[in-house]
Amino acid sequence: MATATAPPDERVATTGPVARLLKRPEIGALIAALVVFLFFALTTETFATPAGASTWLQTSSTIGIMAVAVALLMIGGEFDLSAGVMTGFTGLTVGVLTTHWGLNIWVAIVVALALALAVGALNGFMVMKTGLPSFIVTLGTFFVLQGIDLALVKLIIGQVAIQGMSNVPYYDQPKKLFGSTFEVGGATIHVSVIWWIAVTIIASWILMRTRAGNWIFAVGGAQGASRQVGVPVFRTKIGLFMTTAFAGWIVGMLVLFRTSTVQSNTGIGQEFIYIICAVVGGCLLTGGYGSAVGAALGALIYGMVNQGIPYSGWDSNWLKAVLGVMLLGACLINNWVRKRAENAR
Amino acid sequence: MPAPLLQLTGIVKEFPGVRALDGVDLVVRAGEVHCLLGQNGAGKSTLIKVLAGAYQPDEGEIVMDGEHAHFADPQAALAAGIATIYQELDLVDGLSVADNIFLGHERSRFGFSRVSDSNRAARELLVSLGHPEIRPSRETGSLSAAGKQIVSMARALSRQAQVIVMDEPSAVLDPDEVGGLFRVIEDLRASGKAIVYISHRLEEIRRIGDRLTVLKDGRTVAADLPARETPTSELIALMTGREVSAEYPRRTTPLPDAEPLLVVDGLGRTDEFEDVSFSVRPGEIVGLAGLVGAGRSEIVETVYGARRADRGTVTVDGRTLRRGSVDAAVAAGLGLCPEERKSQGLVLDEAVYRNISLASLPRFSRFGATRDSAERSAAHEASRTVDVRPDDPDRVVRTLSGGNQQKVVLARWLLRSCRVLLLDEPTRGVDVGARSEIYTLIRTLADEGLAVVVVSSDIDEVLGLSDRVLVVADGRVVHSGPSAEIDAHNVLDRILASNESSHESEGDAA
Repeated sequence: MATATAPPDERVATTGPVARLLKRPEIGALIAALVVFLFFALTTETFATPAGASTWLQTSSTIGIMAVAVALLMIGGEFDLSAGVMTGFTGLTVGVLTTHWGLNIWVAIVVALALALAVGALNGFMVMKTGLPSFIVTLGTFFVLQGIDLALVKLIIGQVAIQGMSNVPYYDQPKKLFGSTFEVGGATIHVSVIWWIAVTIIASWILMRTRAGNWIFAVGGAQGASRQVGVPVFRTKIGLFMTTAFAGWIVGMLVLFRTSTVQSNTGIGQEFIYIICAVVGGCLLTGGYGSAVGAALGALIYGMVNQGIPYSGWDSNWLKAVLGVMLLGACLINNWVRKRAENAR
Repeated sequence: MPAPLLQLTGIVKEFPGVRALDGVDLVVRAGEVHCLLGQNGAGKSTLIKVLAGAYQPDEGEIVMDGEHAHFADPQAALAAGIATIYQELDLVDGLSVADNIFLGHERSRFGFSRVSDSNRAARELLVSLGHPEIRPSRETGSLSAAGKQIVSMARALSRQAQVIVMDEPSAVLDPDEVGGLFRVIEDLRASGKAIVYISHRLEEIRRIGDRLTVLKDGRTVAADLPARETPTSELIALMTGREVSAEYPRRTTPLPDAEPLLVVDGLGRTDEFEDVSFSVRPGEIVGLAGLVGAGRSEIVETVYGARRADRGTVTVDGRTLRRGSVDAAVAAGLGLCPEERKSQGLVLDEAVYRNISLASLPRFSRFGATRDSAERSAAHEASRTVDVRPDDPDRVVRTLSGGNQQKVVLARWLLRSCRVLLLDEPTRGVDVGARSEIYTLIRTLADEGLAVVVVSSDIDEVLGLSDRVLVVADGRVVHSGPSAEIDAHNVLDRILASNESSHESEGDAA
């Protein structure tokens, strides 16, 4: 595509580094992230300052952890609409268990993790056993969890937000892990950024360098064929649903220990933002294609736009409209690039 | 002759409503290319799936390497040494070539891919297939169809396959790519592998095949024929000939001396067929005989307006139809029962009565809303006329047998009170025993004054059913006359003669 010389035989052609780069799914998101950064850096005063950067990096990080997990699932050909509410569910679990029932905080965190993984496994199990689309199955679990977060929490503690979290014994220990900050060049960086980077690196490495990564591409791209050659389709898909639930747990903990509270409606409405970030990062809705780094970049774009809009003095309610335009734009560009790539064969 | 590597005896596979395989025998030896020949619907695809372990046969036995084999799933077949390369190449576009080759049996240690190892092994396989230019690290989606086929073969070799089943491998290739494919197949044969090669192109079978087995109606009708020497006429007769001779209801009343209802004049579509003219009177059945690819289906679909004619006219009852308009054709009283009932004709998950009333909905609707009870009773009546069994208008069409599905399509056009019925392969997927019923029904409809056009690749069927027959070869009508004055051999002779005269004899025989 971008190589200047026309190779004599496409099969023996060595593709140049530029052409190879352009074929990566995350390239569009990388360019878009640079454009968004430059735009807000040049048009606003605060965006490119250390304080500004720490704000949008923090927003990007929690969205990004989820977006990366959701991207893996989408490459595997499935959706998880319960991913957003999972972040609230795990935080509330820890909050209720510790503040109301006085359970040890570490035990509560482990219980929340176990519950999250169980819900993830249940999602996967239902999808694989019933053959229903994951969109429907996880829409169901989404609403069930949403109801539990509101009704059950209210039933137990009489209100819809956790209070007194910081008085829980040993609160400081997990706070170091999930809620601390550190200084880099004048910017206060939240530990969630480290989690975000770590999750992205691990996910990329799984996708590119492990057997499980092959399986994820295979079950998303050609499920029937994968089964025929012996890919453990069932295990792979359940593992993917458990991965998004696991990410939901991480983000639930990050939110809980950063703010010392969590509300019953935490995470609701975020599930689509994760999908948008994954798609902006190059994932196809049909599965079998995408990248973890792309999804992380998609989240970075989201975080920058999310903070850039108020910095510019615009009404922050425009955010959703901008996101919609970004999603459509990303899909159209991805579509166009893929068509060109196919024609170039 | 070496001992058989793979031997299938009396394989039977039944699906609800149809017996797809009804006693298939197949013997494959090491170091040979064994061709499997048969028309569409003869059971080739089902047999492939049995070999691949995707279907388990209901009866019969499979012996591989002298041992009884039972393939519970595709992996069991792979483990036994049978690899299948499907027509729609089942590779994962998003993975690299090497990853595709080793998918499911990755070279890894503790779950971590050993990329350089698998790339090296993939390269060795690709080199051994004569295609060193395919880079193992390349994204598979960017390869051509021919390249993907090579990757599929490398995958088969990576599993130490002894038998490689190839389902119409040339269908996705350009002519010069076919040459490359054949070179690879010859190398595989020389190295002692057995290839089961499925195709309906006789020319290819002659070039690459050693021996062949012919399937018809789910049965082996001839086995172990020499692929190169068996005369074409014999092969075609085996594929198209009727084993169980069905009863064809002959005309009982003389044809009324009426004006033709359907007149087709000089119809042509560039690159498909040319200069097709015929007329059908009320009560008359006209048959189009010819092999697959001759242009029969294209002709009826053009008459129906589903394809737009480039030249010529279609006239119904004196009125010329607008070209390429199905609406105009249906309004004038034409009805088509297409070749692919399941994909083109029926809504499989809907009730029988819904399928019947589909073409007549305006009649049952007022202000855009359908009147369900009227629709239901009228449809029920039509389904009784054609004797759909069981007599249950609410039954889902998918659960009916092939023959009864065909009757549903016929009932649809009866309800529409159509006057000209175009039937494309009316007995495809219909059990041999149930065919006479369809024949009787078609004859009854004609006796009631319908003009009927029947298309079939089963020459006996066309001759037995119709009053007049047109023989189509290579997009041209090469013969036309009363069916009683010609027999199947004559029809084949005329088709073959026209094939030989057109110097680019494709040999497309099924």
